[in-house]
Amino acid sequence: MTATASRAPSPPVALLRRPQIASLVILLLVLVGFGLASPTFYSPRNVGNMLAFMPELGLIALGMCLLLTAGEFDLSVGAVFGFVPCVVFILAQGGTMGIGAAILVGTALALAIGLVNGLLVVKIGISSFLVTLATMLMVRGAALYVTQGFPLDSWRAPSTVVTLLAGSFEIGGLRVYASLIWFAALTLLAAYILNLSKLGNWISAIGSNRAAAVARGVPVDAVKIGLFMAVSALAALAGLISAFRISNASPVAGTNYELEVIAMVVVGGTALTGGYGTILGTIVGVMLLRAIRNGIIMIGVPGLAYTIFVGGIILVMLIVHAALRRAGGQG
Amino acid sequence: MTPVLEVENLSKSFGNVQALRSASLSVAPGEVVALLGDNGAGKSTLIKCISGVHRPDAGLIRIDGRTVAIRTPREAIDAGIETIHQDSSLAADLSIARNLFLGREPTRLSWLGALAPMDRGAMQASARTLLARVGIRRALAPATPVSALSGGERQSIAISRAMQFAARLIILDEPTNNLGVEETRGVLRFIREMREGGHSLLVITHNVHHVLAVADRFVVMRRGEVVAEGAVAGSDVLGIESLIMGVDLKAGAEA
Repeated sequence: MTATASRAPSPPVALLRRPQIASLVILLLVLVGFGLASPTFYSPRNVGNMLAFMPELGLIALGMCLLLTAGEFDLSVGAVFGFVPCVVFILAQGGTMGIGAAILVGTALALAIGLVNGLLVVKIGISSFLVTLATMLMVRGAALYVTQGFPLDSWRAPSTVVTLLAGSFEIGGLRVYASLIWFAALTLLAAYILNLSKLGNWISAIGSNRAAAVARGVPVDAVKIGLFMAVSALAALAGLISAFRISNASPVAGTNYELEVIAMVVVGGTALTGGYGTILGTIVGVMLLRAIRNGIIMIGVPGLAYTIFVGGIILVMLIVHAALRRAGGQG
Repeated sequence: MTPVLEVENLSKSFGNVQALRSASLSVAPGEVVALLGDNGAGKSTLIKCISGVHRPDAGLIRIDGRTVAIRTPREAIDAGIETIHQDSSLAADLSIARNLFLGREPTRLSWLGALAPMDRGAMQASARTLLARVGIRRALAPATPVSALSGGERQSIAISRAMQFAARLIILDEPTNNLGVEETRGVLRFIREMREGGHSLLVITHNVHHVLAVADRFVVMRRGEVVAEGAVAGSDVLGIESLIMGVDLKAGAEA
């Protein structure tokens, strides 16, 4: 046996082969490139704008990363993002309850949607793609029905909950929203769960080889249902943060967010087919898509052409990951 | 001596198909029993009932003479039954260490339940000890993903996981399937070592030569029933194959 066949790559090469590190390198290149091409890319206004938008899709992406790692999808998150704030606004504006109670009802509704998704996938055995495609239509339909298709009256009443979700403060000309703190805290929690906790080992094992996880006594069904509920609740939280930030709830808010979130997670290196997930990569994916959206406009690409670039860059990232996997030698 | 495992009149149907008809067998301490039968004979259903994957419709399972209720894989593991399922016992994306402890991760702060942090130091240390004992030739770090291992190395890891938890009974479902010659030898050697270590084994296989090489006793199933059993000593390949197929091959060979 020759030693050349199985020699491990040197540490820096091995590190570059990790998909999230490759994504990070590309993110840095993109950030430097936009900085050079557009003098206003690093203006407090643009940075503040990116930091305001980032947590909203980012929160959903954290949940989606864990769900994809366990080998399931959720296409209903965009609809939940739009639906829950509508319900909360209607309940609070109708005077039936305070804003705090309305948010609790909205969150319970999101958890219930996640529970239904999870139960149908796990107990009936329908693919999560189909189940959540159907619930996406139902939830979006419900949002349109309860609002009769119109955006709701804007929300002006100040309250502690609203400040906690969508308050902001200024540091040196940079406007920072409370959502960024939520996002940072939940990112750390998600990274801890996936990488260090027992639950994280279960999640990866379920996505990698469900039968093996079942045979080792891992409560596979409970874990999957829990993840569907978590991602739904995160979508509701993101929707509420967004609605309170702009003081407006619209039944069509969050349209297509499900696909954008999945793109963010996969661009970061998480396997679409389950078994491997990375929170660092997910954050990189969230930042990358946000930076590209803002940066492309700022360097003067016509507004109508920019989704061409967004799609193109996603494709490039996926090609890079596929090439890295092949270079990894596993065929 | 009380058998480690006794299965009594186990029955299981899937819809109209009766996969198991009142099947019974036993495994004595330190004994290697080969479970034989053609495809569809009910071997897999039988071991899935014993390992908690399927719930039998009727019948009893006793471990060390005590009747046990095995409703889930967890309960089987807790009862001391470790099963190495065909092609499905390891999660390829996970490291060796994470696979070895899957479902039974050592944790610190265990009051956190499923959210408790894994004790990675302990996992790495045990994994290293185990890898040294398994005798895989190349040096493998506990953090190596299972996807980087050969079929034989994976099988060794799965078997050593069963040994590590000092199981009363280890069930192997087609352990030499898809393995090369050298790797197959390794697995057979491993089975012998486990028997010498006092473990009891129930091995499903198609290969009668392997039965003669490592088993003490064989049990033959056909159409959901146990139709024959016997000691390996004094048996030959044709005799056992005749029992599996339900025809007298020897008579045919002599004619």
